Amino acid sequence: FLGAGGGNDIQWCFSQVKGAVDDDVAEADIISTVEFNHSGELLATGDKGGRVVIFQQEQENKTQSHSRGEYNVYSTFQSHEPEFDYLKSLEIEEKINKIRWLPQKNAAQFLLSTNDKTIKLWKISERDKRPEGYNLKEEDGRYRDPTTVTTLRVPVFRPMDLMVEASPRRIFANAHTYHINSISINSDYETYLSADDLRINLWHLEITDRSFNIVDIKPANMEELTEVITAAEFHPNSCSTFVYSSSKGTIRLCDMRASALCDRHSKLFEEPEDPSNRSFFSEIISSISDVKFSHSGRYMMTRDYLSVKIWDLNMENRPVETYQVHEYLRSKLCSLYENDCIFDKFECCWNGSDRQVDIVMTGSYNNFFRMFDRNTKRDITLEASRENNKPRTVLKPRKVCASGKRKKDEISVDSLDFNKKILHTAWHPKENIIAVATTNNLYIFQDKMN
Amino acid sequence: MLGKGGKRKFDEHEDGLEGKVVSPTDGPSKVSYTLQRQTIFNISLMKLYNHRPLTEPSLQKTVLINNMLRRIQEELKQEGSLRPMFVAASQPADPLSDNFREAQPAFSHLGSPPLLPAELVSTMPLESCLTPASLLEDDTFCTSPAVQHDGATKPPPPALQAVKDSFSSALDEIEELCPAPTSAEAVAAESAAHDPKTQPSESNIHKPEGLPESRTAESKLMDPLPGNFEITASTGFLTDLTLDDILFADIDTSMYDFDPCTSATGAASKMAPVSADELLKTLAPYSSQPVTPNQPFKMDLTELDHIMEVLVGS
Repeated sequence: FLGAGGGNDIQWCFSQVKGAVDDDVAEADIISTVEFNHSGELLATGDKGGRVVIFQQEQENKTQSHSRGEYNVYSTFQSHEPEFDYLKSLEIEEKINKIRWLPQKNAAQFLLSTNDKTIKLWKISERDKRPEGYNLKEEDGRYRDPTTVTTLRVPVFRPMDLMVEASPRRIFANAHTYHINSISINSDYETYLSADDLRINLWHLEITDRSFNIVDIKPANMEELTEVITAAEFHPNSCSTFVYSSSKGTIRLCDMRASALCDRHSKLFEEPEDPSNRSFFSEIISSISDVKFSHSGRYMMTRDYLSVKIWDLNMENRPVETYQVHEYLRSKLCSLYENDCIFDKFECCWNGSDRQVDIVMTGSYNNFFRMFDRNTKRDITLEASRENNKPRTVLKPRKVCASGKRKKDEISVDSLDFNKKILHTAWHPKENIIAVATTNNLYIFQDKMN
Repeated sequence: MLGKGGKRKFDEHEDGLEGKVVSPTDGPSKVSYTLQRQTIFNISLMKLYNHRPLTEPSLQKTVLINNMLRRIQEELKQEGSLRPMFVAASQPADPLSDNFREAQPAFSHLGSPPLLPAELVSTMPLESCLTPASLLEDDTFCTSPAVQHDGATKPPPPALQAVKDSFSSALDEIEELCPAPTSAEAVAAESAAHDPKTQPSESNIHKPEGLPESRTAESKLMDPLPGNFEITASTGFLTDLTLDDILFADIDTSMYDFDPCTSATGAASKMAPVSADELLKTLAPYSSQPVTPNQPFKMDLTELDHIMEVLVGS
């Protein structure tokens, strides 16, 4: 597997861990989304308490050539607050479901963050100068008595300690009856989509009082509802193309040029069921929890409960590759249904733009995460744990023993901790740095630089 | 955690309880398939109707659980099973529709089969915990109806009475296999004495008595809830009814409360393996089988047995 040495294999080392140390997890601290910005300099996390924390990578220190810059807290702000829906007598969670960065156009950074109902555009800007030398105000802000002013001067900017400010610039509200699961910025950088369980809306970033419904799968009679939308994403290059996945394991590709309401897909991606694997839980485990286009836009990756699938957009009837994430769970599905783990929504991600590498990554239980190398067809299981926190020490591969005699260093399926799940992972867009979120900690790993 | 199969006293073969494809047509493994199906059905019901979140429950989860229930019901319907518990289960129950009702509930115009009101379905664990006892008997089908009705007719509020009646009438419906909508009035006329119409020996033969008056029961109970449009994703009915409190006052549903963040065993615990195994051990006296951790059904049946005893007050 990866890490065993050899030319281009990546050897992952622990770099940093962020978050509370103690085992007692505060609910608000549960990380719910992780996302690098387009340059990789900024790394944003959202949590269940509605907060966004942004880390910034230090500029590389030329003397410390053995490691890349560390990520330190850059800005923290409360993005969403809990609300109460009086009509339904239910709380609206403030949990941040997704964060998506806009490409940088000027000195400020912009990101979209969303909870179940409302999307917000945040501007993050730096202030490192302040004006001094006002005529009518003292330095501390008190107003001077105008009669004491005898000369005039021009205020000048003087340096100050860096202050990072986050301010909400747009609030896109009241467009979703159901829970928002995805947001995706179009390649035109002017519009974006937001998807909930039954509908997908198209927004313009400048316009908050209007959105266009482009997909609506709500049946006339809700009793007939058997399928929901689980994820959606714009194509990285084609601004009229997007895909959305469903709870029945299908992906639909739609072209907005075809009609205003894209209820009829252009392509339908679905793999026929394997009859030998059929069980009561077949439908549930086929539900797609994440869909991500490759950088080229030629492929897309989907994550269902047990596997990661790579699809060629030109082939609808089956994926071109399937990787088993934790097949040993197949015989445990009844328990996992009972304790709700079967509904866990794992995300997946492609590696960055390093052309030499073609790897996909996703999380699992017991704080394990998995990587699949599409070139070598090898895979590796690694663990995000504070026990491995010696920087520059290569992470030891892990192995789960499905049945039979457990070898040394293997962990048996029955010993897995299903409370420790890695749902969110992100890969730096340019370098081999990855961010892996456990329940309330954020781990940063990077490849060993020689 | 649950691994590969274990023996049950009436099952000669060692069958995997999970994951394996157990075809319903296999002889000896049909029972284990049936038990597995039953367990999953019970779990699904508990998930839908015991969960009272402060926030809206996930629509995706609700839809998937609902699909699971529907599939099992379809299967049961096709098999023409006449076990009372399955019968009640085989009602084309639609918890989802209850939750996501679009307009005022008015069943007379609906072309679809009768819907199970929330409280009706909430009694299902009661029903289902009664029936599996019969499954353990050699003569499977005969004894449960009497037990069922006895168990269900504790001094109940009228709504419960109507609920129980709907079960009996649900038996009829399954016999017909082909429910047709009729007006609510006709249904109401039938409502009176379904009560202990079933003798144990007749449990397999239920004369059709027209449409189940579950609709009437539902209409009665749904009328006070005009605000239950699609937007009420929660089990709105349950919150309005005291029935739920009555029915579940004594039931310990902690075995179905698997909340990773607040599990009694601690945040760092392994959830499923510990709880399932521990339950098995605590319930060992109920079972004449050697208790292994590999039997989700055994745990379920004996736990439901226990629940039944509590409810019947023995």
